[in-house]
Amino acid sequence: MEIFIQQTINAISLGGTYALLALGLAIVFSIMGMINFAHGELMTITGYTLMYCGLAGFPFLVAAPVAIGVAILAAVIMERVAFRPVRNSSGATMLVTSFAVAVILQTLFQNLISTRSQAVILPDMLAQSIHFGSLSIGINQILSISITLVVLVALNWFLRRTILGMAMRAAAEDFSVTRLMGVRANGVIAGAFAISGALAGVAGVLWVAQRASVDPLMGFIPVLKAFIAAILGGLGSLTGAVAGGFALGFIEIYLAAYLPDHIQPYREALALGMVILLLLLRPNGLVPAFNVGREKV
Amino acid sequence: MLRKLTITACLTAAFALSQVPATVSAQELVIGTATGQTGGLAPYDGPAMQGFQIAVDEINAAGGIGGKYKIKLISKDTRSDAAQTSIAAQELIDAGISVLVTPSDADPSFAAAALATDAKIPAFSPAASSPTLPLMGGDYMFANFPGDNVQATVSAEWAHKQGLKNAYILYSPDTQYTTLPLYFSDVFKKLGGNVAGEGTYTIGQQDFSAEVTKIKSMNPPVDVVMTAAYEPDFPAFIRQLRAAGVTAQVIGSDGIDSPTTFSLGQAAEGLVFSTAGHATPGSALEGFNKKFAAKYGKETDTIFSAIGYDLMKVIEAGVMAAGSTEPQAIRDAVADLENIKGVTSEITYKGTTGMPVRQVTLIRVKEGERELVGQPSPTADLVPAPRMQ
Amino acid sequence: MAILTVEGLHVHYGAVEAVRNVTLSIDDGEIVTLLGANGAGKSSTLNAIVGLVPSHSGQVGFRGESLVGLATEHLVRLGITLTPEGRRVFGSLTVEENLLLGSMPLGKAGDQRKDNLDRMFGLFPILAQRRQQVAGTLSGGQQQMLAIARSLMSSPKLLLLDEPSLGLAPQIVDTIFDQIVALRDSGITILLVEQNVAMSLEVADRGYVMAAGSIVTSGTAKDLSSSHLIEQAYLGHE
Ligand SMILES: Nc1ncnc2c1ncn2[C@@H]1O[C@H](COP(=O)(O)OP(=O)(O)O)[C@@H](O)[C@H]1O
Ligand SMILES: [Mg+2]
Repeated sequence: MEIFIQQTINAISLGGTYALLALGLAIVFSIMGMINFAHGELMTITGYTLMYCGLAGFPFLVAAPVAIGVAILAAVIMERVAFRPVRNSSGATMLVTSFAVAVILQTLFQNLISTRSQAVILPDMLAQSIHFGSLSIGINQILSISITLVVLVALNWFLRRTILGMAMRAAAEDFSVTRLMGVRANGVIAGAFAISGALAGVAGVLWVAQRASVDPLMGFIPVLKAFIAAILGGLGSLTGAVAGGFALGFIEIYLAAYLPDHIQPYREALALGMVILLLLLRPNGLVPAFNVGREKV
Repeated sequence: MLRKLTITACLTAAFALSQVPATVSAQELVIGTATGQTGGLAPYDGPAMQGFQIAVDEINAAGGIGGKYKIKLISKDTRSDAAQTSIAAQELIDAGISVLVTPSDADPSFAAAALATDAKIPAFSPAASSPTLPLMGGDYMFANFPGDNVQATVSAEWAHKQGLKNAYILYSPDTQYTTLPLYFSDVFKKLGGNVAGEGTYTIGQQDFSAEVTKIKSMNPPVDVVMTAAYEPDFPAFIRQLRAAGVTAQVIGSDGIDSPTTFSLGQAAEGLVFSTAGHATPGSALEGFNKKFAAKYGKETDTIFSAIGYDLMKVIEAGVMAAGSTEPQAIRDAVADLENIKGVTSEITYKGTTGMPVRQVTLIRVKEGERELVGQPSPTADLVPAPRMQ
Repeated sequence: MAILTVEGLHVHYGAVEAVRNVTLSIDDGEIVTLLGANGAGKSSTLNAIVGLVPSHSGQVGFRGESLVGLATEHLVRLGITLTPEGRRVFGSLTVEENLLLGSMPLGKAGDQRKDNLDRMFGLFPILAQRRQQVAGTLSGGQQQMLAIARSLMSSPKLLLLDEPSLGLAPQIVDTIFDQIVALRDSGITILLVEQNVAMSLEVADRGYVMAAGSIVTSGTAKDLSSSHLIEQAYLGHE
């Protein structure tokens, strides 16, 4: 029983990080109809910022917000420079553009920083844990769960209670009519990228706090997981992205925890199989987007 | 060291183009390198080729191999892609090379091995450690690193000598290299130890909480954990393991011989891993490290640079013994080499299938520094046979 | 005094020429109806006026200002707005949120926003009852009222209505047309696109008839109702 509780806490923590990542993809997709594969590179940028802040002697509590800020800035610049020119192009063009942005950034990291993994100095506290009886919850996990919670609540508040948030929800549903309401297209899209940058930044800090290193190709796996979670949840649906993230976290942890050893090598395949099964049962995802199939932008 | 690449060797056949022999000066040894200078293998192939270049420059400055054969390098970047490795290898073979250098990973090296075998040109991977590579790669494929099975044997014998009894191994089925702990498991059991569990992970996995919870819940408690995980997986794993309060000895392998491992702070304290060499004061490796710093203006931060240097020394010895730059002659000579003095170890190919006999070094992380545990040779009987996949 | 003038407007979708050389004008305080069969190019004309689809060539003037090249989100601030075909309310937003978004062109004028909201709830009492309900769950007629109210939230001078009666029950259609007249009486100029020819001509002052992208005839509502030109336009004779 205790092991089960421990594994459930593990699942919530991992699922929360996936949820933040998937939300970042979903918020841009909901408005632009584009999966931004360079989302992972925003995490890498966060990681390198943490690394340089550490080298400059900044305490982690200063470095983390700085790194998130840099991710927001990078996301907004990315939109302005790379995605605005192709905004009205086909989905395929936008997809290829985002791949290109990802590869260009990876190459820049390799050439300007290093091909090798760089260590990120973290407070020792992050590798400790709090013990309740035989339960041990990592400080990292506690931080991850509580930060995820705060971010989800704040984002929900922003989307429901502010005019820009309302405009973003409207734009996700029907971009043209949102413009008819006098909402600036550039503003909404820049806002979506800024939020996705913030989400990538927060997820990036949590990710790096776990791995203590950053490398040029670091963004690939998380963006892949986020993509799976977003599809599982219902592409373009924000609630769905959160649901998909947690579902993926639970699937991965429970499989790792309870599959017999000799089946463990097939775990990844089984996890994907379960995702596909869920999608067969619910083709539009766990919580489908409101406007499945409608034209974007 | 090796890494999984997505595209398999299937494409090699498609690139088996007809060979166009180029005219090459008889007094020149042309070496083609098809390595991953960008992409996922860059952290290994980059330094390996830097070390390789130092040896080439040294030899050429001294008038060439045996004062006779100047070395000409043709280098191609495979972008760490298996298909691109085939293309690059074929282009190099067509350009008339005598020796081919392949990536530090078994998977793309397999792609090149098939081409080298067809062309009867010896091929070398600087740092692939899978004993399966030279065995399956054919008579022309050589490696230059302590084999996974040999590293695992040395680690298991050391663990046994420390009185450790209850092991947990964590491996990844994704690549041959990351299955190294399965060799450890075999040897540890042969020595009378118990293997309490065999956990798996996926390369790139960041969250090890489920595996750590399992390790922690083992009864009787696990006293040694062995894994061949490397960056970024390994740092994430050991931090989470330590955070959960598991104090068991952790043993790793050469993939974590990197600066990150030494900057993990408390989490990595006491960690032991196997690698290819150690720069004890006055050693040849220390001398090499000085040369590296002089040439590149910075300290080398990995053993792979010295491995690259040693690879060129092996090729040099092969050409000397062959007395020719004829590929077949070089291959035959290399297969017969004994006790070649590299900076990391003495290297012997005689009597092997292409996986050299080399020393294994055990390193302990102590207060963020490298501490030599020993450079033992494995008990020959204990070394498991290469596992076929 | 013309509030809107359109001259020589062309709209292309790739090789398809949806609007050809359309010229029309609307005077302050008028209801003008734009009639024509399905696919005649009516919606394209309206969308081009507000910049939702790019016009290939031609002039659009609103109260003496040229709208050509202005982005939709900017020109709606000048006092022109469109209630699009098919209602297109934001189905996942509440009635109130839909209305608040409609008032965005007002900028920061908070008082007027509140006044307009009260006015809309007065005009469409059903919306007041459904204030916190998400718009996707409203009936078709209620959604149409919401779509019109949302447009009115910006206090427009000129309202472009694209097929407001489409798919609605007859009684509801009556209500909608009554409201159109009331809106005009409150000082809003209206360009009404409709398929319901009879009712449109009943409320309109003047009308234009489109076929295959061009204006084929125009005149006072009275003249148009008594001629056969409309039937011909619908049947495709020119
Ligand atoms: N987005 C579009 N892309 C391509 N063709 C379109 C588009 N919208 C309308 N059309 C075509 O333009 C013509 C006019 O359409 P529309 O303006 O909607 O007519 P109406 O509103 O009079 O029914 C039709 O042939 C229609 O198929
Ligand atoms: Mg229409």
